[in-house]
Amino acid sequence: MSKDFIQSAGLKLVILAVLFVALPLLLVSLDKGYIYQVVMLALIFSLLAVSLQLVTGIAGLLHLGHAAFYGVGAYIAALAGADYGIGFTLGLPLAGLGAAAIAFVVALPTMRLVSIYFAVATLGIGQMIFLVLQNWVEVTKGPNGVSLFSGIDLFGYTVDSELGIYFVVATIVCISIWVIHRLSHSYYGNALRSLREDDQCADAMGINTVRLKIESFMISSFFAGIAGALWAYTTGYISPVDFDFAESILILAMVVVGGLGSIPGAIIGALLLILLPEALRGVGDMRNIIVGFVLFFSILFLPKGLFGEVPALNFIRRQMGAAWQDNPDKQKVGWK
Amino acid sequence: MEISRRNSLGLFLGTVGLLALPISAAAEGPVYLGYQLPLTGNTAQYGQDFKTAAEIALKNFNASGKLKVPVEIIFEDSRSDAKEGVAIARKFVDDDRIVAALGDFTSTVSMAAAQVYKRAEMAQLSQTASHPDFAKISEWQFRNITTQAQEGVYNADWMNEQGLKKIAVIAEQTDWGQSVVKDFAEKVKANGGEVVFTEFFNRGLPDFRSIITKIERAKPDAIYTGFFYEDGAQFLKQMKQLSVETPVYSTSAAYNQKLVELAGPAAEGLFLTVTFLPNSESDHVTTFVDEWKAARDGAEPGQFPAQAYDAVNIMLEAVARAYPDVSRQNVRDELAKTKDFPGVTGVTSFDENGEALKQLTKATVTDGQFVPLK
Amino acid sequence: MIDPYYLQQLTIGISLGMVYALMAIGFTLIFGVLNVVNFAHGEVYTIGAFAGIMAIAAFGPPFLVIVFIVLAVGALAGFGLERLAFRPFRRFSDEASLKSRAMREATLMSSLAMSIIAREAMELLFGSEFQTIDISYLINKPIELGPVTIVNGDIIIFVVSVLMLGGLQWLLKYSSIGLSIRAVSNNPLGAKYVGINTDRTIVLTFVIGSMMGALAGILVGLYYGAVFPSMGFIPGVKAFVAMVMGGLSSIPGAVIAALVLGVAESMSTTFVSSVWADMVAYLFLIVTLVFFPQGLFGARRERV
Repeated sequence: MSKDFIQSAGLKLVILAVLFVALPLLLVSLDKGYIYQVVMLALIFSLLAVSLQLVTGIAGLLHLGHAAFYGVGAYIAALAGADYGIGFTLGLPLAGLGAAAIAFVVALPTMRLVSIYFAVATLGIGQMIFLVLQNWVEVTKGPNGVSLFSGIDLFGYTVDSELGIYFVVATIVCISIWVIHRLSHSYYGNALRSLREDDQCADAMGINTVRLKIESFMISSFFAGIAGALWAYTTGYISPVDFDFAESILILAMVVVGGLGSIPGAIIGALLLILLPEALRGVGDMRNIIVGFVLFFSILFLPKGLFGEVPALNFIRRQMGAAWQDNPDKQKVGWK
Repeated sequence: MEISRRNSLGLFLGTVGLLALPISAAAEGPVYLGYQLPLTGNTAQYGQDFKTAAEIALKNFNASGKLKVPVEIIFEDSRSDAKEGVAIARKFVDDDRIVAALGDFTSTVSMAAAQVYKRAEMAQLSQTASHPDFAKISEWQFRNITTQAQEGVYNADWMNEQGLKKIAVIAEQTDWGQSVVKDFAEKVKANGGEVVFTEFFNRGLPDFRSIITKIERAKPDAIYTGFFYEDGAQFLKQMKQLSVETPVYSTSAAYNQKLVELAGPAAEGLFLTVTFLPNSESDHVTTFVDEWKAARDGAEPGQFPAQAYDAVNIMLEAVARAYPDVSRQNVRDELAKTKDFPGVTGVTSFDENGEALKQLTKATVTDGQFVPLK
Repeated sequence: MIDPYYLQQLTIGISLGMVYALMAIGFTLIFGVLNVVNFAHGEVYTIGAFAGIMAIAAFGPPFLVIVFIVLAVGALAGFGLERLAFRPFRRFSDEASLKSRAMREATLMSSLAMSIIAREAMELLFGSEFQTIDISYLINKPIELGPVTIVNGDIIIFVVSVLMLGGLQWLLKYSSIGLSIRAVSNNPLGAKYVGINTDRTIVLTFVIGSMMGALAGILVGLYYGAVFPSMGFIPGVKAFVAMVMGGLSSIPGAVIAALVLGVAESMSTTFVSSVWADMVAYLFLIVTLVFFPQGLFGARRERV
């Protein structure tokens, strides 16, 4: 697939057509709850992977605690629904904002950190949030989890058919991904990329790097919270173990397999790691080893990801194509 | 009588015809059940046990001829992951052949899957789901496990009889552990005793020594514990390391021969309540234990596999009673009617909520064996 | 006079810390050279423990023989791990790849993939339950020490950690291997230019680090009597935290940070509750990062 096609409007139309026409038709004709469930999971995890991509791929900050914010969103939605009777219409944005607010609080002291220090800080934060969900029994009901029976209630109109829920989830995920996509392809996104490439340089050029980091962290957590709320509304029961460290690593693996910095890559990664274990059910107990091997070989052969962003240097090469000396013998690389 | 060739041919055809009759009855197809359980991942040891138990139960049932058609169980691996558990539940629900589901192992996954079964109106019978609200989700949920409302109270009375008044309670930080503490503590207070110490720990905690030291400071007469056998072995070993002699009481979840294997002499003198003991004399227990030993190189089955074995049998009986009209609704109704089922984990009936009522036995560990106490 | 109760809790904390330290040593060594997190270190630790108990089950050798078997298996595991998960990613040396974050994070993921494969394979082979170990091999015989009780395993783990730490410091400071390890850690390209065989040095680091990881695995396995396929995960996270608190490249720093973590955990169990013990550990981590961003004992870094 050529780069131009990926960036063209045609592809977007094709994706929309698949998501809102072809796939629903297929779902209706098959009429299998299982397929709905897997598709829904794939959608939710696509959103999670894309939201992590904003921080890890585009702003270049290795984030090891993303699942915690996913959990915060799920808990806010479920608790608001179960204890206060707040429905989907209000609960969904509330979940996102709540996750973003917590992200803001934890980001304030930690966002000055870079590289591995940042990664470990996010690991610690993720684990702390998980421990709070697990052990603050009075508020989160602790390991008992939260049951949410309200379902999806859209502006007073209850959506209870499988197809209706699918359309709601697909629409929200699409809008969210589109927002992140626009954000990452704007001047704002370029500023985030400058953080990744060289944050000192970006600082020197007048970009407020700390503020940018906090903002991107919050935006990413906002969408993770939305994904969490969708998970809570679609399953009806959540508990802390759904949001542990292994989940963070799973989301990170989606991003890395798909290609750091690339939004289509994140989606492909999410689809791969959600659909593959399901597709391999027939294999039995071996299936997780196979998933491990697929992960390994995809990294081995495509270390920049399946859909990796073209590195900046490649871009320059193309721009200055005439002056750039190609390297057939891998010896001489540089300008003539 | 001389049997001519023609006669023998006729006899042969007749036999074939007779044989063909049940075959044609079977042609309407076997009855299918779904079983979701963790066959891989951190909790795979439990799921693999359930699978073995279910296979034994199924083999015996199909051989017994109680039902004209064979029953088959479709096993699906949930990894104790709610994501996968829900997907499997929906898969089972989609499959029109499946009339009822068994599983899952952890409450988290069982609870999440229960939402699917509730909506689809399919009976779900779990052998271990211990969440206090599990059976209350809907009329479609059943479980074959003694609830802490029964076991905790029983243990509290037992300790009261022994004259143990000051009791320390520790339990794992799960929904089950929460109910262990709650139901037990209420009864202890009602009996005039005192819970001097309560603490939870995360499942898989390697080091209990800090907690044990802390318990000792409270100077209890006895310790009541809610743990599974692996955590139990760690706890008992470390108690011995610290030379703590306080008697320990536990629930049936700790009952597994593996506990003695792992803890060795440290397990001696552990008191617990069980519903199943492999050295029992009764017929169905010996059948189960013998077949289990054959399948598992002589190892003895623990409490959980026994519960799974019974759960599968209860389900199969319900299917047999529902036959020939094996619809999801019918199987659920027959399941609800289960009364005085003679299982290996004691006589079982379901109450109106789908909770199992069982007979508990007091037991202790002596010379590396679990033995019943009078 | 301090209440013996607190003394006992402190002792437990220190022995817990030694357990984390044992793992942190190898982990920090590998990180220090490559600057990437080796997610599979926890699995090397598990493989070491399994190799040890299999040796015990097979022919019940004396303790020292087990140690040597485990060291050999650890060396092999380290060598294999480096070959499979790390070396392939050093094939790119062009500027774009060196600058690309994706390339640097690729080894993180490849080691994660390796750890998934190893753990799942062990679960398939041995089941995920605790393995039965001959009780007489466990190193948990109590020793009364005045008002506190320790076990013989505490002493063994302490001695081994001191030996590891001392040996490693000697190796890094005075031997030629150590010098080349430090050179590669400092500047891989520069080391290459002055004629150091960087590939060989990295392999050696992995072998040494993994030997230590495997030894830690069997010692902790016998100490707790708990050997199971996912046993490496929690100590792995703790070792990671200890490494960062200690300042990334400082091995003694990581050991001290591990001790701090252990004591913090036992103290929070003492004063708060066991379920919040991890919370205190992570709180320590965040506080360290915010107020002492170079770690408690790290070398001065330009920026963090």
